[in-house]
Amino acid sequence: MKARKIFAEHESLILGTGFIVLLLVVWESIPLWYTLPRGMALFFTTPSRIAVAFYELLLDGTIEKHFYVSAVAFLAGLGLSIIVGLPLGLLMGRSATLEQLLDPYVTAANATPRIVFLPLLILWFGIGIWSKILIVFVGALFPLLINTYVGVKNVNRVLVSVVRSFGANEWQVMKIVVLPNSVPYIIAGLRLAIGRAILGVVVGEFFGSSHGLGYMIASAATNYKVDVVFVGVAIFMAMSVFLTLAIKQLESRLASWRPEAAKSF
Amino acid sequence: MTYVFPVDPFFFTKPSLIGAAFKEQVQGSKLWHDLAVSSRAFLWGFTFAVIVGIPLGLVMGWRKRVEYSLDPFLTALYASPLVALAPLFIIVFGVGVLGKAALVFLLAIFPFIFNTFAGVKSTDVLLINVIRSFGGTEKDLYLKVILPSTMPYIIAGARIAIGRGLVGIIVGEFYAASEGIGFAISQAGDTYRLPDMFVGIIILSLIAIILTELMRRLELTLAPWRASDEVR
Repeated sequence: MKARKIFAEHESLILGTGFIVLLLVVWESIPLWYTLPRGMALFFTTPSRIAVAFYELLLDGTIEKHFYVSAVAFLAGLGLSIIVGLPLGLLMGRSATLEQLLDPYVTAANATPRIVFLPLLILWFGIGIWSKILIVFVGALFPLLINTYVGVKNVNRVLVSVVRSFGANEWQVMKIVVLPNSVPYIIAGLRLAIGRAILGVVVGEFFGSSHGLGYMIASAATNYKVDVVFVGVAIFMAMSVFLTLAIKQLESRLASWRPEAAKSF
Repeated sequence: MTYVFPVDPFFFTKPSLIGAAFKEQVQGSKLWHDLAVSSRAFLWGFTFAVIVGIPLGLVMGWRKRVEYSLDPFLTALYASPLVALAPLFIIVFGVGVLGKAALVFLLAIFPFIFNTFAGVKSTDVLLINVIRSFGGTEKDLYLKVILPSTMPYIIAGARIAIGRGLVGIIVGEFYAASEGIGFAISQAGDTYRLPDMFVGIIILSLIAIILTELMRRLELTLAPWRASDEVR
């Protein structure tokens, strides 16, 4: 009876973690009840082997080295997109001329999978860190820009008029009304941008690169080191989930009054 | 610009050259072949994502226990860059249609699951009760109330899924392929044929823009009330 009550209280937690544990156990035990043919075994690994590979790579410093390179590309690209995207979004939201001038391009660029520009960026900026920073930048720029812009457009006109009638100039309107109002939108844009930025890092490092976690995955795959591939994937997963949760926390604190929208990463 | 600054044509190109390359490629057969190859892989992956994703989302939205079991797992997968698995997929499933289709499937399924899920969650309880009071079966409930009211969400999900699916195709073909539009772009880049590369990029962008716009239109016709709270 008591067990049932505990289950009822924490049902979502128990079922959620239970399912993941179950999957891991099934995955781990596949070799026990089924002998894979030799060809398949080459592509197969188990969670325990992945964990061992992770531990070994952590000890010999491989992960640290690649992680550092990826993190620099990620942070620099994302930082650059914030520096460009936020002011541009604010300006586009406030100035009708600028909006009409840029909106078609922004919409078009947002619909395009920006990953197609990678070969071009590699050609122009080489296989060093810059092509990665820039692919992260073009990936993360548009969600930030568009969300900021939408946030500014949704500002309550009455509030703007009130501040205006008390003699505020454009700069003060921006500071007092527009910016605080668009913060939730900006945070939502940041969440999308982080996803895109990580995508940019991963794919950017797949091609024409000699460092970074993406490179580690790609080269391990070519050498059939499947467990190393999964170590890389797991690190990226952990990073994304952690960052997404952190931003969500921030988002729900700042925008508890906004209706829940469908999940979109 | 090229007349003002003498730049190296090796690294730079101009619209007139791109235009010439565009004309040449549209008249040739290679471009169409590449597009056909890529779209086949895309359609396979996308179709399976629809077939698996929508029912999964419906059940997750309707059955509490299924939601509890699957939500943390699927959310984690949705949040993570699954494209990182691309090299593995290509190596396991080959450079042909199967590898790319599997990649598209993996990337495109999550928007379907989660948007269907959100749609079911937002279904009007009153309508459900009406069906129940008039003795409707579980099947009636799914087909007559839940699925129709979820439709706009599914279309919105399709829009996101298209973008993700295209990323899958492109990355798959950049990584390893012998044909396809992504391969054409990366090969043109590798051999410094800049105008050809731009043609590929422009065509892919056009396809992406047209598909996205089509979905947006569909969304607005099916659910005009959602037009106001559009967040792209």
